[in-house]
Amino acid sequence: MSLVTRNVIIALAITLVLAGTVAYAVDYLNRARINELSTMEDQISIDTLSLDTQFSLLEAAPCDSIASSTTLISSLADLGNRLSYAEGQLGSDNAQVIRLKQQYSLLEIRDYLITKQLAAACGTKPVTVLYFYSNAGDCADCDKAGYALSYLRTTYPGLRVYSFDYNLDLGALKTLVGISKVRDTLPAFVIDGKRSYGFTSLAALEKQFPKGALATSTTAHP
Amino acid sequence: MKPYMSQEMLTFPFLFLAIFFESFVLVTLLSKPARAARARVPGEAAPSVAVIVPCWNEATTVAATCESLLALDYPADKLEIILVDDGSTDATPAAMAPFAAHPQVRVIRKENGGKHTALNTGIAVTKAEFIGCLDADSFVDPAALREIVPCFAKPEVAAVTAAMSIHQPGNMIQHMQNAEYTFGITLRHTLASINGLYVTPGPFSFYRHETIKELGGFRHGHQTEDMEMALRLQHAGYEIENAPRARVYTKSPDTVMKLIKQRTRWTSGFLRNVLGEYRSLIWSRKHGVLGMLILPISLIAVVSTLLLFSVTLFHLGQSAITALQIRAGIPLAYAYLPHGSFDWFYFPSSFYILLGATTLLTSLSLIIVGKRISETPGRIGVGLVSYALLYGLVVPLWLARATADVTLGKNRGWRA
Repeated sequence: MSLVTRNVIIALAITLVLAGTVAYAVDYLNRARINELSTMEDQISIDTLSLDTQFSLLEAAPCDSIASSTTLISSLADLGNRLSYAEGQLGSDNAQVIRLKQQYSLLEIRDYLITKQLAAACGTKPVTVLYFYSNAGDCADCDKAGYALSYLRTTYPGLRVYSFDYNLDLGALKTLVGISKVRDTLPAFVIDGKRSYGFTSLAALEKQFPKGALATSTTAHP
Repeated sequence: MKPYMSQEMLTFPFLFLAIFFESFVLVTLLSKPARAARARVPGEAAPSVAVIVPCWNEATTVAATCESLLALDYPADKLEIILVDDGSTDATPAAMAPFAAHPQVRVIRKENGGKHTALNTGIAVTKAEFIGCLDADSFVDPAALREIVPCFAKPEVAAVTAAMSIHQPGNMIQHMQNAEYTFGITLRHTLASINGLYVTPGPFSFYRHETIKELGGFRHGHQTEDMEMALRLQHAGYEIENAPRARVYTKSPDTVMKLIKQRTRWTSGFLRNVLGEYRSLIWSRKHGVLGMLILPISLIAVVSTLLLFSVTLFHLGQSAITALQIRAGIPLAYAYLPHGSFDWFYFPSSFYILLGATTLLTSLSLIIVGKRISETPGRIGVGLVSYALLYGLVVPLWLARATADVTLGKNRGWRA
C-alpha cells in the first residue's frame, strides 16, 4: 500500500470519527436540553401542586399564597422560552417536544385557574392573557405576536401571559379553547376575558388591554 | 423538518470533504517524507544561481527587493541577479539604475510583453545551473537560498518553492492574508512531500535551468505563468519540492477590492489552465496524488465554497430579516440589547454549525503549524482572528468573479 493510499484511509477514518463525534455532541446537547426541560417541568409541577395545596390549606387566609403564585409565573415564562428554542432545534414534530408542550400547557392552565381563584378570593385584578398561536406555517404573525408579548411580560412583571399551541392535541387545551370560544383565526388573544384576533403592532395590541392595566399591572397585588 | 434543513444537508458532503482534506494534510504532515523534509539542513554546496526579478511599474519596491537578494548568505561569485524592466512607465528604470554597476547585478530593459517574457529574457542571458524568480514586491530572508539548494538533491526535482509570508501586514485584510499565506506554508510543505504541488509562486521559486530550457521557458499561462509552469513540470513527470524554512516576504493588497482583483486573476488562471491544457492531469493515476486527489479537490473546493457561502448567506439573511420583522415596533432597548447572561441551553448546536466550526479550528491549527515549521518571526494572533472573521466572507467574492469570467470567456488586465 502506498503512503498516499494509507494516508487517505487514515484521513477518512479521522473524518468519520470527527463527524461521528459532532453528531454525538449534537445529540447529547439535545438530550441534555430535553432533560433540563423535564426537570424544570417536574419542579414547576411540584410548585403548582404545592401552591394548589397551600391555597386549600389556607382557606381562612388564601391570599398568603400570592407570593408563590408570582414566582411561579416567571418560572413558567422561562420554561416557555426554553421549550420554544428546543422546538426550533428539534422540530415541532418531535415526540418529546410534543410531550413537553402538553405538560407545559397543562401547567399553564393549572396556573391560570389558580390565579383566577386567588383573584376571586383576594379581590385582586391581575391582568391575564391567553395567547393562541400555531407553528404549522399557517400563522404569519405569530412570531411577531409572541415577541411583543414577551416584551410586555418583561416590562410588566405582573402581567400573566399563557401561550398555547392551538393545534396541540390535548384534551384540557381543547376544553379551554371551547369555553373561551376562540376561533382558529390566529394569532388569537383572550385579554381579561375579551377575545381579539390578529396582530398588527405592539401599539395595537396594547390597546386591547383594559385602560390602565399595563401601567398598574406591576402593582396588581396588594 | 425545518425548511432550510435540506439546504444544510446539501452542504454536508462538502464539509466532510473539507475535514477529510485537512485530516489528510495533518496525517501527511506527520508522515516520513514530510518529517525528512523538515529535518533537511542547509548544505555547503553552492551551485551557480541566477535570480530573475521581472518588473513592471515597481519603482517603490524593486530597490529593496534587490537589496534583500544581495544580502543573501551565498557566495557572491555564484549568485547573479537579473533585473528585467518589462517596459515600465513609472520610475522603475531610475530605481534600478544604482544597481547597474554592481558586479552581481545585470539590468535589462525591454518592451512590455508580460511577466513571462521578462522571465524568459532573464533566462536567456544566464548560464546558471538554477534559475530563481522573485517578484519585485518581495523580499527574501538571508538564509532562504541556503535552504532551497539542498532540495534539488534528487535529479527528478525540477523546481523548489519557498515559504511565503506577508511583508509587514498593516490592516486586517493584510493580517488575514498573512494567516492564509502561513496556512499555505503548511500546505505547500505537506503536499510537496508527496509531489502534489501545482503552483510555483512568483516569490522565490527556483527551477533547474536545463529543465526550463527543455520545456521551452515560461508561457503566458492565462496570466498565471507560475501555475502553468508548475503544471507543465508535473505533466512532464518532474517533481516540485518545497523548502519550508526558505522565508520570503511579499507585499500584499491592502484593500478588499485590490485583493479581489489579484485573486480573480489567480483563480481564473487556475481554472483555465487546469480545465484547459492540463485537463488530462485530472483523475490521472500516472500523476499520483496531484491527479487523483489535489486537483479534483481543488476544483470541488471552488464549487463547494460558493455553495457553502450561499447557504450561510441565505441562513444569515433569512434570520436577520425574520429578526427585524419580529422586532419591528418593539422599543429598541429591549429588542436590540442583550438581556440575561450566557446560558448553555441556547448554545447553537446544529450539525452544520459544529462541522463548520471543526473545519475552521483545524484550519487555524494548520496556520499555527505553518508558522512553527517555517520559523517565521512575528505574531500571528491578529492574523488568526482576521482569518476566522473575514476569510470565509471574501473568498467567495473572487471565486464567483473568476468563475463568471471563465464561464463567460471574459479576460481582464493584470491589475483589473
